[in-house]
Amino acid sequence: MLAFTLMLLYPLSGLGAPTGPWKWGGGYPGSTMAAVKVSLALTALALLLVIIAGTPVAYYLARREGVERAIWEGALLISVLLPPLALGILLSLSFGPMTALGGWLARLGVASANSATAFVATQFYVSAGYYVLAARAAFAAVPRELEQAAGLLGLNPLRVFWRVTLPLARLGLAAAASLAWARALGEFGAIIVTAYYPSGMPVQIWINLQEAGLPAVMPLLLIFLLSALPLPWLLHLAARRSQVYV
Amino acid sequence: MSEMTRFGARLNHPVLEAHIVKARREFSVDVRLSMGRGERLALFGASGAGKSTVLSCIAGFESPDQGEIRLLGSTLFPPSAPLHRRPLAYLTQKDLLFPHLTVAENVCFALDGVAAGGGGAGGRVPAAAWVEELKRRLELESVWEAPARAVSGGQARRVAIARMLVRRPPLVLLDEPFASLDNLLIFELLEMLLEWQHALNFALLAADHRREILVRLCPRVAVIERGRLVQEGTWEEVAAAPATPALARLLA
Repeated sequence: MLAFTLMLLYPLSGLGAPTGPWKWGGGYPGSTMAAVKVSLALTALALLLVIIAGTPVAYYLARREGVERAIWEGALLISVLLPPLALGILLSLSFGPMTALGGWLARLGVASANSATAFVATQFYVSAGYYVLAARAAFAAVPRELEQAAGLLGLNPLRVFWRVTLPLARLGLAAAASLAWARALGEFGAIIVTAYYPSGMPVQIWINLQEAGLPAVMPLLLIFLLSALPLPWLLHLAARRSQVYV
Repeated sequence: MSEMTRFGARLNHPVLEAHIVKARREFSVDVRLSMGRGERLALFGASGAGKSTVLSCIAGFESPDQGEIRLLGSTLFPPSAPLHRRPLAYLTQKDLLFPHLTVAENVCFALDGVAAGGGGAGGRVPAAAWVEELKRRLELESVWEAPARAVSGGQARRVAIARMLVRRPPLVLLDEPFASLDNLLIFELLEMLLEWQHALNFALLAADHRREILVRLCPRVAVIERGRLVQEGTWEEVAAAPATPALARLLA
């Protein structure tokens, strides 16, 4: 077990590799900060949209059974399993400026490629399925009978959700959201096709690697890891510890 | 106008009129019940006779296939009324306390619905005094601020009872709520329930397969066998002339 864990974590030691003095500014002045800002702001927006759209769907799914649930989950699984690069190309082919949908969006003033919109939409596509499947599990762990008991005490379904379901699923939902966060923030394969600009951290790291070398890559790599890893990691541990009652 | 005042105005209605038809794997349940205000009726039968199906259909945890259920003149089925529009209490083997809330928050849970304008206890006693009385008489002072998941089995049961009484339900359904408790505790809880029944005059429908518990709670009994009521009367009447051989064995 120890050997295996060490093997899996060994690549992290690369952060200490002798690359020469780190260039915090990145390939050209300001590019590091710009990439960090783009990534954090747009990922936060994408995550917000994923949570707003995905939470009701996850709850619906958690209260379905048998064939119906299997069908919906199967569909969601397709979105989760799509290789990112393939998804990026498919998104371009279905939303791009040359398509009917893309043209219609362009007339509305929304650029469907290489724009913040494209960036957020792509992140939505790569993370929504993950979020819904994980949030479904969080909701499914809340016993149906507790909701029914709350209903019999006179609370309508919306208030039952708010006062019983949501608080009990809270940690699991947070873990689901953090999974989606890490997934969206780290997305490279699909984003590089649909939204090379504005360059977020993954794309900027790639650019730096290509054009400026490792000293420019390392600082961004460190920030990238720090913004993607610790929070989801802690939330997962917390969610695991507080398993359900009754 | 709150739900309870509206219901309370209809004094001439029976509390519960139910005809419940529901198919199950081995047989179908087909039961008619009628209960007056303050009436205590036992639903007695072997395990698997259909007692839980009847109660759970009245409570709304499941839906009958056919039939009709009326509570104080309002239709609960058909169509199936949502849970929050059923002013009744339902106590099963599980306490179903809300584990993320304190004992106090559990007990007062239903009052939140009242404040928000939902159905509930249009009581003459102000809510605070009523809650205070429940807390004292159910001996919950020592655990009042404790998280509900931290209380003992017997305490949890009393919390569940306080929580259901807060709304002063006109009908209380008991589905073997004493199954996993020791005898001393059962005796204590039975006395407590009877006291509250006298005080609040709710109709009580109690299902169990143990006669000694039901005899203590209810003067009248309806006997259920494979989904049908086979006899109804006082315990003496039923014991004197059991309607079926199976019932005779059960009473022996």
